Amino acid sequence: MSYKYDPQLDGEIRPVSRPVLLQSLTAVIPAAAILHSEEQLKPYECDGLSAYRVTPMLVVLPETVEQTGAVLKVCHRLKVPVVARGAGTGLSGGALPLQQGVLLVLSKLNEILHIDLENRTAVVQPGVRNLAISEAVAPHGLYYAPDPSSQIACSIGGNVAENAGGVHCLKYGLTVHNILKLNMLTIEGELLTIGSDAFDTPGFDLPALVTGSEGMLGIIVEITVKLLPRPQAAKVLMGVFDDVQKAGNAVGAIIAGGILPAGLEMMDNLAIRAAEDFIQAGYPREAEAILLCELDGIAEDVDSGVEKVGGILRDAGATETRIARDENQRKLFWAGRKSAFPAVGRLYPDYYCMDGTIPRRQLAAVLHAMGELSAQYQLPIANVFHAGDGNLHPLILFDANKPGELEKAEALGGKILQLCIEAGGTITGEHGVGREKINHMCLQFNTEEIRQFHAVKRAFDREQLLNPGKNIPTLARCAEFGAMHVHNGELPFPELERF
Amino acid sequence: MQTNLPQALLLTPEGREADRILRSCVHCGFCNATCPTYQLLGDELDGPRGRIYQIKNVLEGGRAGAETQLHLDRCLSCQACETTCPSGVEYHKLLNIGRAVVDSRVARPPSRRWLRWLLGAVLPRRRLFTPLLRAGQLFRPLLPAGLKNKVPRREKSGPLPQTRHRQKIILAGGCVQAGLAPGINIAAARVLDRLGIETLQVREESCCGALNYHLDSQDRGIALARRNIDAWWPYIENHGATAIASSASGCGAFIKQYAELLAHEPDYADKARRVSALCKDISEIVSAAPRLQALRAKTGTKVAFHSPCTLQHGQKITGLVEGLLQQLGFQLTAVRDSHLCCGSAGTYSILQADLSARLRADKVAALTAEQPDLIATANIGCLMHLRTSTDTTVRHWIEVVAEGMV
Amino acid sequence: MEGDQDQSRLLQNQLQQALGEGRALRIAGGDSKRFYGNRVDGEILSTRQHRGIIAYEPSELVLTARAGTPLRDIEAAVAASGQMLGFEPPHFGAGATLGGAVASGLSGPRRAYSGALRDFVLGAKVLNGRGEILQFGGQVMKNVAGYDIARLMAGSLGCLGVILEVSLKLLPRPEAEQTLCFALNSRAAAAKANRLLTQAVPLSGACYSDGQLFIRLSGAGETLARCAQTLGGDGGDSDIWAAVKEQTGDFFSASDLPLWRLSVPPATDPAALSAAAAAATLWDWGGALHWIKTRLAADEMRAIAATAGGHATLFRSAQAPGDGVFQPLLPGLKKIHGNLKQAMDPHRLLNPGRMYADF
Repeated sequence: MSYKYDPQLDGEIRPVSRPVLLQSLTAVIPAAAILHSEEQLKPYECDGLSAYRVTPMLVVLPETVEQTGAVLKVCHRLKVPVVARGAGTGLSGGALPLQQGVLLVLSKLNEILHIDLENRTAVVQPGVRNLAISEAVAPHGLYYAPDPSSQIACSIGGNVAENAGGVHCLKYGLTVHNILKLNMLTIEGELLTIGSDAFDTPGFDLPALVTGSEGMLGIIVEITVKLLPRPQAAKVLMGVFDDVQKAGNAVGAIIAGGILPAGLEMMDNLAIRAAEDFIQAGYPREAEAILLCELDGIAEDVDSGVEKVGGILRDAGATETRIARDENQRKLFWAGRKSAFPAVGRLYPDYYCMDGTIPRRQLAAVLHAMGELSAQYQLPIANVFHAGDGNLHPLILFDANKPGELEKAEALGGKILQLCIEAGGTITGEHGVGREKINHMCLQFNTEEIRQFHAVKRAFDREQLLNPGKNIPTLARCAEFGAMHVHNGELPFPELERF
Repeated sequence: MQTNLPQALLLTPEGREADRILRSCVHCGFCNATCPTYQLLGDELDGPRGRIYQIKNVLEGGRAGAETQLHLDRCLSCQACETTCPSGVEYHKLLNIGRAVVDSRVARPPSRRWLRWLLGAVLPRRRLFTPLLRAGQLFRPLLPAGLKNKVPRREKSGPLPQTRHRQKIILAGGCVQAGLAPGINIAAARVLDRLGIETLQVREESCCGALNYHLDSQDRGIALARRNIDAWWPYIENHGATAIASSASGCGAFIKQYAELLAHEPDYADKARRVSALCKDISEIVSAAPRLQALRAKTGTKVAFHSPCTLQHGQKITGLVEGLLQQLGFQLTAVRDSHLCCGSAGTYSILQADLSARLRADKVAALTAEQPDLIATANIGCLMHLRTSTDTTVRHWIEVVAEGMV
Repeated sequence: MEGDQDQSRLLQNQLQQALGEGRALRIAGGDSKRFYGNRVDGEILSTRQHRGIIAYEPSELVLTARAGTPLRDIEAAVAASGQMLGFEPPHFGAGATLGGAVASGLSGPRRAYSGALRDFVLGAKVLNGRGEILQFGGQVMKNVAGYDIARLMAGSLGCLGVILEVSLKLLPRPEAEQTLCFALNSRAAAAKANRLLTQAVPLSGACYSDGQLFIRLSGAGETLARCAQTLGGDGGDSDIWAAVKEQTGDFFSASDLPLWRLSVPPATDPAALSAAAAAATLWDWGGALHWIKTRLAADEMRAIAATAGGHATLFRSAQAPGDGVFQPLLPGLKKIHGNLKQAMDPHRLLNPGRMYADF
């Protein structure tokens, strides 16, 4: 697809005079906070999905909530679209700028404002790095549970916008389960508080709606997160497999065994080798797949759980099981997993990361089908994903410098997403729709549902100024895209169980 | 990452090198998380990923202006990003290429140019710098406060050990260190002597070249590298020197790069490879010595160790000094954010005084959090920089070890 | 199961008919929670016969069922496979249905430790106020495609749409449970409950009533025995949890005074709350949920809750305050709520006024 904003398919954007906008912004925010020269704008043209690039009209870097509100007021008055950006680590192009829009960068709002040890909460600004929260509260024996693999760099504001998950969300939930309160600026620049310091709030569950809304409903400027006490014990077990599908089946067996692991992750051979090259985590380079299974809680329970999981893994055909011998090795096992995406950059110049989620029982079949697609398209796929959640992350490896390869990778990605929907899953588990999967939304939702999404959007942003062209496709786009994807009543991969 | 460098550029070794490095970057942004300037400024343009992008833009034919130059200048070259990068992007090499291109296109204001020239002309010349420093020290009480801060009091130093040993190594003298802190190399020689190693001092050697290379003239830096290779070569070939030790991790990191800097010069490539391979940080020599117990200190002094970027990120030596100190009976404190730069970074503390001071304040706070008896480090730059803003004693760790020897 | 049927079309027809005639509807399942929220005048749209478990695969930890499925059937079905609803929903009557549980959004004692009802909602099929059947979320653990309208349905009291089906995440049932009891004053009890959270104790409930702190532990039998030994206290009656959840204990039945529900930050001093309200409180959720019986005016109760950082709901009462039983919304939020109602149910057909008078 062309990722560029298309007025015919994404909606008209009223042209605005750049000098007028610049002048209006300079009146409310220091000139140094506005970037406008070509050389300043260029590095902001993409987020973590660098294949999609659009130079924004202006970049604004507010230092306070007041400045942020003032910028929004100006944009609302002049009807200029606003795209919010945090650390720019997103993988779906959610922060892809608009040529006719302002890129509102919140990375300077990066203070931890308050830590409440009694209630176990922290109040943070959106630009604070996910990991920085856990580091700040570590001396008190607490941590912030959601841990996306990019947690070293990604910002909590972006986590809220995408409803980020991570390797520990099977047990501890996603971002939506770990935030209590949000301060949000509307496109009119009005500050709203949604959620509260209590466990619930009167009215509709707006934090649930806003979390994962990809900057389409409001701009998050302050977040109250829940902190959890560090578990007494945590152990990670590695199961080594000579066959990817055996590993896939082991996942279901663990859950069926009544165990709720803190994390249950899978890596295939390509991912294992890439991560091993970077960090020497001690992964077996020759294995076809490994499963990392973490159990945490009370020491004795963890020990008995580890024993049980070890048995399940061996029964499922693991050629070997290893238990991380100490905390350092446990961290190393995870460090390898968490760096696996970019580490794949050692193998291939570019990767295109998919995020489909499927019922666990379909893992083996879908992995097999993806292998066939990979062969068909002649592009390797590295798999490293949240097996416990059924959240796949196939990394399609390609070389963007070779003409046509990006398009081929996108086409393969589209097939994989279709496969996920057909397996009873979804096109995105945690990375968001962004710009990248906008067309695939038409596969997952029908006209009425898409229309309902738009109505919800208008409840917050009547003039559609917040991040237009992302997350929810227009009906015009679906009509266009649907025409391209006629199924002819034929389903690929008939071996998959249907719903 | 996709690249689109012009064909003409791809015909040059630098162009190909830049393209290779750019393509290894997947734009994940992990590097920003450990970049000192991104953490302070929160602007993509002041982080490694943004700098890579700015260099890519310039190499692809985009405009190179004062803005790009500013953001490249703000880079400390601490290489923390390289330690963090899972994709193995060789950022510092790309930065060197980018800086050269940008500097060739964008002229700095005259005052900045003059300052950079002066630093580049004086600091690397031991025979020029030391007399100037001595004069400064003599008139220190009369200097204005801003300058006084930069001119440390003169240090007393003892004699070099004279014992001959079978194992001999070259101890690189460095440039400013000889004037500012002559005690460091004397301490190093005493420690090595105790371990049964004789140190050779080579009169003909000069500054390692890092300063010029990163400041004003990559050519001049490389010329100094050649000169050092020429100076050390007879000692390696004829006098049995088995290593070139450096007590300044900044110099050591650069000498270890000689091999790649001179890889394309037929006369020097082989020699440079040998010299880089022989170059060792003083901690590598000490920790490999068989008679370590001969150094055992008598006290349980509480030490906060600041690992210079050139040691942990440049030379990828992590935990070695800390382990040594602990083994010798020192008590090490925990230092948060130990991966972050102190802001010294060669001439950075002079050229980017503001950012440097903020980084130093953070670093001193982290180092003194547990009230150590002293702060130890492994590079003259960090040492002088940290000293200016803390009452806690700051020493090179080798001096601390030498004094502790029973 | 016998009696299972899909009445989606029927309900859709009924709604469209009402839409055509401009009649408001009062959605009812088992009608066990009719007392909750503001009074609704409207023709009954009953989901009670729209029932049945559609999909339940224990290894997926997911169950999908129609709205009219009795909660007790669901609990029995998952218990048979060693699983449970992690949010321990109150029934408030034998006929309680899944749809009603989700629409009311209420959670029981386990809420403070394993999450609220809204945390377990994975997907929902909804009939909106235009009579369209829409599917949001799904049956997988994670799904961020589109806005999370499925989760928004939790606690929306039927004001945004008729819930037709819900997919819920389940949890493995603990091997064993044990209740301990400590005679403590309210403040000391809350401090103890809060402290236990940071210790290696498998806490799954902490409530306080009439001078006694009740602690529930869930986990492996041996672990519970060891923890119980370390913690001390007396063995407690495990019926307390059902009594608190279903409001059947003495505290709830002793008088006809209005019952207030105060939801506050967990470290709130319970003694201060009960002093301000001049009444004893029964608290749950480790101190984050307070039940108070009092005749104090609504404004006073709301001020007390707001001071503590929470909100007050008049949960059961013969008479509702003029501005409704829920704490009023600030103007900015009120506007968004009105817009959302407009987006989902533009003709104000569904449960009008049940949450707030304006919608």
